[in-house]
Amino acid sequence: MKNIKVVLLIFILYSYTSSFSQSESFNDECINCHSVVGEEAELYKNDVHFSYNISCAACHGGDPKSDDQEISMSKEKGFTGIPVRKERYLACINCHANQDRMNSYGYKKSADQFEKLKSSVHFKPTYNNQGPIADCITCHGIHNIARVTSINSPVYPSKVVSLCGGCHSNASFMKNYNPAMPIDQVAKYKTSIHGIKNSSGDINVAECASCHGSHEIRSVNDPKSSVYPSNIPEVCASCHSDKTKMAQYKIATDQYDSYVESVHGIALLEKGDLSAPSCNDCHGNHGAVPPGVESISKVCGSCHSLNMELFEQSVHKQAFDKENIPECESCHGNHNIKNATDEMLGVGEKSSCVDCHKEGDKGFVIARNMRSLIDSLKQEEEKAKIVLEEANQKGMDVSDAIYALKDIRQILIQTRTILHGFDQNKFNEEIKPGFEITSEAKTEGINAVENYYFRRKGLIVSTLIVTLLVVGLYLKIRKLEKKES
Amino acid sequence: MQEVIQKKSGHKSKIYLWLDERYQIGKLEEFAKKKSVPKFRETIWYYFGGIALLLFIVQVISGILLLMYYKGTEDFAYESVQFISTKINFGWLIRSVHSWSANLMILAVVIHMFSVYFLKAYRKPRELTWYSGIVLLLLSLAFGFSGYLLPWNELAFFATKVGTDIVGEVPLIGEYILKLLRGGEDVTGATLSRFFGFHVAIFPGVFVVILAIHLLLIQRQGIAEPEKWRLKKESEKKTIPFFPNFALRELMIWLIVINILAVLAVYFPWELGNKADLFSPAPEGIKPEWYFLGMFQIFKFLPGEVLFLNGEFFGIIIFSIAGLLWILVPFWDKRTKSGMRNRVINYVGIFILIFFITFTILGFILD
Repeated sequence: MKNIKVVLLIFILYSYTSSFSQSESFNDECINCHSVVGEEAELYKNDVHFSYNISCAACHGGDPKSDDQEISMSKEKGFTGIPVRKERYLACINCHANQDRMNSYGYKKSADQFEKLKSSVHFKPTYNNQGPIADCITCHGIHNIARVTSINSPVYPSKVVSLCGGCHSNASFMKNYNPAMPIDQVAKYKTSIHGIKNSSGDINVAECASCHGSHEIRSVNDPKSSVYPSNIPEVCASCHSDKTKMAQYKIATDQYDSYVESVHGIALLEKGDLSAPSCNDCHGNHGAVPPGVESISKVCGSCHSLNMELFEQSVHKQAFDKENIPECESCHGNHNIKNATDEMLGVGEKSSCVDCHKEGDKGFVIARNMRSLIDSLKQEEEKAKIVLEEANQKGMDVSDAIYALKDIRQILIQTRTILHGFDQNKFNEEIKPGFEITSEAKTEGINAVENYYFRRKGLIVSTLIVTLLVVGLYLKIRKLEKKES
Repeated sequence: MQEVIQKKSGHKSKIYLWLDERYQIGKLEEFAKKKSVPKFRETIWYYFGGIALLLFIVQVISGILLLMYYKGTEDFAYESVQFISTKINFGWLIRSVHSWSANLMILAVVIHMFSVYFLKAYRKPRELTWYSGIVLLLLSLAFGFSGYLLPWNELAFFATKVGTDIVGEVPLIGEYILKLLRGGEDVTGATLSRFFGFHVAIFPGVFVVILAIHLLLIQRQGIAEPEKWRLKKESEKKTIPFFPNFALRELMIWLIVINILAVLAVYFPWELGNKADLFSPAPEGIKPEWYFLGMFQIFKFLPGEVLFLNGEFFGIIIFSIAGLLWILVPFWDKRTKSGMRNRVINYVGIFILIFFITFTILGFILD
C-alpha cells in the first residue's frame, strides 16, 4: 500500500512538472488572450496539435508571440481569421500533406490522406458550393482534435458509426446528394453481429471505415470502391481470413478460399459477372448476420426463386424443417458451391440423394428414375447430333433439325429446375418434349442421309439413260455419215 | 407393208399440206436442206453457241420453277431459298441446277466469244452478230451478278457491296449508277428487290430480244466459214448438212452437257451459307464469282494512286478502254477485213486469255 502511494506521488509530480515545462517553453499569446474571450482556446489545450506546440497561428495566421492585438492579428503578420468553410481544409493539408513536416513531428506513416480524400465522394462540392461535402474538420473535429487511436476521437472505432450516421442517417441532409440512398445503415448495423459487438466496446469488429475506408471513400458503384461487388470478398476476407483476429470469435477462416473456387466466386471474380452473389448478398451488409437454417432457402431463393418455390412445395420442405436440416446447403454446400451436375441426382456414388435415401424407399426409386431420364435425353440428343452431323457432312441441309435440337439445352435446364419439386409426374411432363424433339431430329437426319443415297442412285440412273441416248445418237450419226459418204 | 408406208406418208402429207397451205413451210424445209456447216479442224468450237443456248433454256425453266417459291424481300429471301432447298420435292436439285447452269452458261458464252474472235468470224459481214453476242455476254454477266444476291446470304451480300462499290468509282456517272443499282446509298432490302426485278423481268426480256436478233442474223447470213477458205473453190469446201447431221451432233453434245450438269448439281450442291446481316462486319475472304474474280484481283493489286489518279478509277479507265477496243475489233481489224492474215489479233487474244486466267487463279489462291 505504501509503495502504491509513492508511485502515485511520483506520477502526480511528473505530470505537474511536465505540464509546467510545456507552458513555459510554448508561450502563445493567442491562447493567453483568447482564454479570456472564448472557449476555443481552452478546448485547444486538449488538442493533439497543442501537445506538439503548434500555435493557433498555424491555422489562423498572425504573430503568436506579440501580445499587441494590432500586431499579432494584423494582415501584415498574415492573420487570416476564421478560415472560410470552402477552404478550411487548406489549413490542415498545409502540414498533413507535407511528408517532411509530418516526419519532423515523428509521424512515420504516409502523409497521403489528402490525396486519398481528393478521390473520395466526400470531397465533391456541396449542393450549394460551400466546399467539399465532408472535409477534415467534418470528421476529426476542431480545436479539440484527438489522435485517431484515442477514445476521444470521433473516428475511434466505437464512435465512427455515430459520426457517419450523423449525415448518413439524416434524411433531409442525404436527399441533397442522393435521395435514393437508404438512411438505415446505422439502424441495420446496430442489429448486426458487428454492430452488437461494436456497441459493447469491441473495437476489433468491422465498423463503417473497416469496409468503406476512411479518406478514400468512393461510391459503391465505383469499381475502385472497396465495397464494389467484386471487391467485397477481399474486404470481408481481410478480417475473416485472419486466423489471429478470428480466433477470439471461434470462427472458421476458410470462407474466402472456398468462395473463390465456388461457382459464384468464379462468376464474380474471374468472369466479372456483377450479378453473381458476393458475401453481402447472402449475409447482408450493414445488418450482417449468418443465415439461419430456415432462412437459407430464402437467401438462395432471392436469385434462384423458382428452385425455392418448387422446394417449398416439395415433400422435402417439411422433412428438412422437422430434422432441422439446412435446405439448399445440404446438397449444394455453402461457400464452396460448385456447378450442380447431374451426378448429384440419382443413386450413384456422388449423388446427394443417397445421403438420406436407401435402396427400396420411394425417394430412392424417384431419384433413380429422374437421373435415368436425364441421362437418356442426353444420349438421345447425342445420337441425333451424330446422325445430323453425318447428313451435314454429306452436304444435306438439316439446319432446321439442328436448330430444333438447341431446345434440348433449355429443356434440360427446365428439367433440372423442376426436379427441386421432387415430383415424378411434373418431371416427366417437363422432359417429355425433349424426347419428341430428339426423335424428330433423328428421323430428319436419317431421312436426309437416305435422301443423299437416293439422289446418287437417281443420278446414276439418269446419267445412264442420257449416256445411252448419247451412244445411240453417236451410232445414228455414224450410220448417217457412212451412208452419205 | 406398202399400205402402211402409204398410210404414213399420206398422214404426214396431210399435216404437211395443211401447214404448208397456211405457213408455207416448204420454204423453210428448202432453207433447212440447204443449210450447212463448214467441216474443218476447228468445227468443234461451233458447238459452244448451241451449248450456251441450251444452258439458257435450262436457266429459264429452272428459274421459272424457283420463282414459284422464291420471295424477293429482305425478310423472306433467305428463308424461301432454304425452304426450296429443304422442303420442296427436288427443290435442292432445281436450285443447284440453276446455279451450276448459270456458271456453265457464262463459261460457254466466254468460250463462244473467244472462238469467234480467234476464228475471226466477226469480220464483214457479221459485225452485228458480234455486237449482239457481246451484248448477250454482258447480259449473262448481269444475270450472274444480280442472281448472286438473291439468296440474300452473307457472301452474296458483301460481294454485291464490293461489286457495286467498284461501279461507284466510274467517273461522273458512277455515283448515279451506284444509287440506281442499290436503290439507295447502301446494299439493303431495296437492292434485293431491285436485283430481283432485273433478274426475272428486265434482263430476260432484253436477253430474249437480243438472242432472237443474234440467231436471226446467223440464219440470215449462215455460219461463218474459216478465214482460210476465202481462196477455195466451192467444190473444195467440205461441209456437213445442218439437218440432220450437225443438229444430231449438237443434240449429242447437249446430252453430255446435261449429264455434266446433273453430276455437278448432285455432287456439289450449291451451299446457302448464313443469312446476310446488314450490321455484321464483312467475313474474311469475300470473293466474287469466278467470272469476276480476275478483274477483282487486278483491282486488289492496283496501288491506291496511279499517275495522280485514284487506283480504282485508273483500273476502270483501263478496263473500259480495253473492253471498248475488244468490242470494236471488227472496226480496227483492217487486215482481216481486206482478206489478209492478222496475227496481232491472235497475240492480243492469247495475251488477254492468259492475263485473265492468271489473275483468276491468283484470285482463288490468294486471300
